[in-house]
Order: sequence, then structure tokens, then C-alpha cells
Amino acid sequence: MTKRIPLIARDLKQLYTVFLIVAIVLFAVCSYLTNFNVMTLIANGDAFWEFITEDFLPPALPKSSRIPGILSSVLVTLALAMSATTIAAILAFFVSLFGSEKVSPFPKAAKFVRGFATFLRNIPALVWAFILFSSLGIGTGVGFVALCITSFAFMVRAFVETMEDVSQDCVESLQAVGATFPQRVSQAILPSCLSGFLSWFLYCVEINIRASTIVGMVGGGGVGLTLFSYIKGFQYDIALSIILLIAVMVIVVDQVTGKLRKEILK
Amino acid sequence: MEPILKFDRVSKHYPNGVHALKEVSLEVTEGEFISVIGPSGSGKSTLLRAINRLIPISGGTVWLDGQTVSNQHGKGLREQRRKVGMIFQNYNLVYSLSVLQNVLHGRLGYMNGFQGVFGLYREKDKREALDLLKELGLEQFSYNRASDLSGGQKQRVGIARAIMQNPKLLLCDEPIASLDPSSAKTIMELLRDMTQKRNIACIVNLHQLDVALKYSTRIIGLSKGEIVFDGTPAQLNDEMIEKIYGTSRENLMIGGNDDDKADTADCA
Ligand SMILES: Nc1ncnc2c1ncn2[C@@H]1O[C@H](COP(=O)(O)OP(=O)(O)OP(=O)(O)O)[C@@H](O)[C@H]1O
Ligand SMILES: [Mg+2]
Repeated sequence: MTKRIPLIARDLKQLYTVFLIVAIVLFAVCSYLTNFNVMTLIANGDAFWEFITEDFLPPALPKSSRIPGILSSVLVTLALAMSATTIAAILAFFVSLFGSEKVSPFPKAAKFVRGFATFLRNIPALVWAFILFSSLGIGTGVGFVALCITSFAFMVRAFVETMEDVSQDCVESLQAVGATFPQRVSQAILPSCLSGFLSWFLYCVEINIRASTIVGMVGGGGVGLTLFSYIKGFQYDIALSIILLIAVMVIVVDQVTGKLRKEILK
Repeated sequence: MEPILKFDRVSKHYPNGVHALKEVSLEVTEGEFISVIGPSGSGKSTLLRAINRLIPISGGTVWLDGQTVSNQHGKGLREQRRKVGMIFQNYNLVYSLSVLQNVLHGRLGYMNGFQGVFGLYREKDKREALDLLKELGLEQFSYNRASDLSGGQKQRVGIARAIMQNPKLLLCDEPIASLDPSSAKTIMELLRDMTQKRNIACIVNLHQLDVALKYSTRIIGLSKGEIVFDGTPAQLNDEMIEKIYGTSRENLMIGGNDDDKADTADCA
């Protein structure tokens, strides 16, 4: 009679078991609370499939007179994301200098800067967009501000972390030669962190391409708004073409920024 | 002669309660080459950083070149700091910049904000930097990124940057701790020769007793934040060494003692 030899430690196995049970219980509780039922999905599956196959497929091209307008709305979305990220990055750079205890001339205030950034960041761009639309009215400018706020907050955090990661030794040595704070920033921090900053900037562009489409749908203009107007007009087949166009746009941007980031970090 | 540097009962308490310097008093005059020795944690780095206030002190007074450092701020502090060159164990270069740019950083303390921020160094300074690199045998690396150099070469760039400051005093915090023996020898000789030639006082933190004995004109022994020895290398006898390190000279030599080997084997 041989006992089976376990492959992992006993307590680890117990941990996994507990996790599994907790996950199942949570799923059950949540399904009950939200009245979600897997069965409805299966029962209504036909209607769902019908909707997809009848209304969406095959994708249809809009009237040829509309095509240039749609393409230019794609450009608006791209421009919105790029310009919002750029402005946000410049602001974030200056603010992040005060968000790191090791760099800031006022180390005691660094916590508050980071806290403020965290607070701004935890409100999604979409919520900002709604707040701003209700106070300032809809338009590309407001979408721009909404994107700016979130990517600013995100980049402040990312830039602070980049600066903390880079060794503070060179900042200390410039302090020792008697350099001023702006001199230390431009001669030590900026050269050492530039590639890190650019990489975060490109990552933020990637995120904002998606976000600007969504912000556009609720009133920020661009391809999001175009898509929304076709959906509201029940022209689902044309909407599908636009969705595919958006997908292509996002994939292309992802590829380009991904390549650039790899180049930069080399 | 007026001392370049004077410590008057300087103390340092770190916020975590460590008492790193206890009423330390000392004077340094022109042309001295001083080694500071002592066990790890005895306060050597703290002593050095108290001189140019990279670490603020908690009690006593530091005089540099006839002026107090401890109460200086802003411009006054920067003008004091530029009189003191500093060399670090980890070289502390800006690795993404060229060797020449790193050397020119030594001039930042003399430039106004705008020029310094945009790196608009004077032609005269650039020529001096190139000459200095030549003197240190690094001229062919002037336009390489600082990250491309070897350890010994990086430390020579560190020396060049400090000398560019035109300092009255040079502080070196374990300048050879990360180097192989032959680079270490080059660096120590460069430090001695360059400071002698320019009449710069030099304070070096060292872990290597033999190096301290060979190069210094004066040795300061620190133990638990207090100066327990201050004299010439010749005066540093075995008894004094035991007082500084709390162990006999033989035990300080790696592999010098059979018991030691047994100890390390036990630890491993
Ligand atoms: N930033 C700090 N905060 C708190 N305590 C510190 C700090 N820096 C140093 N200390 C403490 O002060 C004491 C002296 O440290 P210091 O770095 O001056 O020693 P050292 O002689 O340079 O040691 P080593 O030879 O290992 O470099 C040590 O006990 C250390 O733990
Ligand atoms: Mg030290």
C-alpha cells in the first residue's frame, strides 16, 4: 500500500481549495443580487444571434458621400487623443517634480501631490466627460479637457515612479556641486528619465485612443459620435463597418506605439 | 595657517534615533590628505556629508573657508558647496549624458540658472574640461555615453567633475570600494597627485587600512560616531587599530587568520 506523493505543498493545496470555494460562493451571491441568470442568456440566445446575424452582418458601407466625413472623424479622434496626451504630459512632468520626496524641493508636500493625482485618476474619463458636458455643454474641447484630466493624473503617478526608480545618486552629486533645483532637473533627472517618460507617454496615447472614442460617443465628437449616431438611427450594418474601422485604428496605433516604446527602451 | 575646514562639536541624530556623530571636533588645513577609517556604521559617510550639508547636522558648527555652513540657505549654501568637490563610491554620474557633459557639471555651481538649465557652458570651461580629461587619460572617451565606461574610468570622470569645480576641499566617500586593486591604485595615485598639484585638501573615507597608511598625511579613526584616533600614519599602532575597529589587526586581513576561515565557513 503506497500513499500518493503530493506534487505541491499541503498548505498551498488547501489555499487553492479555499480560493475556489470562495470564488464559487461569490459568483452565486452576485448572480442572486443582480438577478443575472446564465439560463436567460441561453434561452434568449436566439434573439441575440438573430440580432447579430440579421442586423449587424454583413457590414455595409455608408453612402459614398458620407465616407470622407467618417474618415475625418477618425482623424478628429486621433488628434483629440494625441493633443490631450501631449498637453497632459507636459503638465504632468512639472507637477511630478513635486510629487517625489527625493526630488522635490518641498518633500513634505510630495504626499499631497500624489494624493491629489490619485484622486483625479480614480475618476474615469467618462465620468469627467459627463460632469463637464453638463456644465460646459458638449463639444470636442470638453472631451479634450476630460481626457487631459485623467491622463494628467495617470502620468503624474507614472512619472513620479520613474523618477524614484532611477537612482538618486546623480541628483545628489549635482547637489554637491552647488546646482540649483532647475539645473538638477534639466541636467540629471530629465536625461536619466527621458526614455521612461516617453514610454509612459506612448502608453498613455494608446489608452487615450480608446478613451477618446468613448468620450466622443457621449458628446466629445470624433468617430465615437459618428458611430453613436448610426446606432441611434438603427443602421447597425453601417455601425459595424465603423466599429471595424475603429478596431483597425486602435490596432495600428498599438503597433506603432509598441514598436516605438521598444526602440526607446533599448 | 587658517584652517579650510573646522568642525566644532558637531553632532548628528538621525530621525530614527541613531546617534551618528557625537560632538566631533576637527580642523583641516591646506594640502592635507586625510583618510577617515572606522568600522561600518561608525559615521564616516555622515561626517563627510555634514561638510557640504548634504545631511543637515543637529548640533555644533561647521566652518568652511572661514564661513559657517550650518546656517546657509539657497544661494549662500550653493556657493559654499561649489568650494567642495565630492567623489562617490558609485561614481554618481548621469549615465545617459556624455563624459564631457558630466565633467562640465562641475561648473554648474558657477553658472546662472538659465545657462545651467540649457547646458550653455563657456568655451573656456569646455577647453578646461577636455584638458582635464586628457590629463586623466580619457580624451578618446569624451563623447561616449558615461554608461559605456568601466568602473575605474567612471571614477576618473568623477574626479574630473570634482576638479572642474575648482574646489578648496575634496571629499571622497569610499572612492575605491567598487574597484579592482589595480584601478584602485590608479585612482588613489590620481587623487593624491591632483590634489597636491592644485593644493587642495582631501578627505577620503576608506575601508582599506593599508591604502590609508600608504597615501595619507593624516589618519582619523572613527568609532561609534566619535574620533578615537587623529594622527600621522606612523602613530597608528596596533593598539590604536584595535581601539578603532574593536578587533586586532590580524582579524582585519581577509584570510589572514585560520580561525577567521573557520568562522566564514560556519556562516556559509
Ligand atoms: N539616512 C539615514 N537615516 C537613519 N540612519 C542613518 C541614515 N544614514 C546612516 N544612518 C545610521 O547612521 C550610522 C552611521 O552611518 P554612516 O553611513 O555614516 O556609516 P559609515 O561609517 O559610512 O558606514 P559604511 O562604512 O558602512 O559606509 C549608522 O548606524 C547608520 O545606520
Ligand atoms: Mg559610508
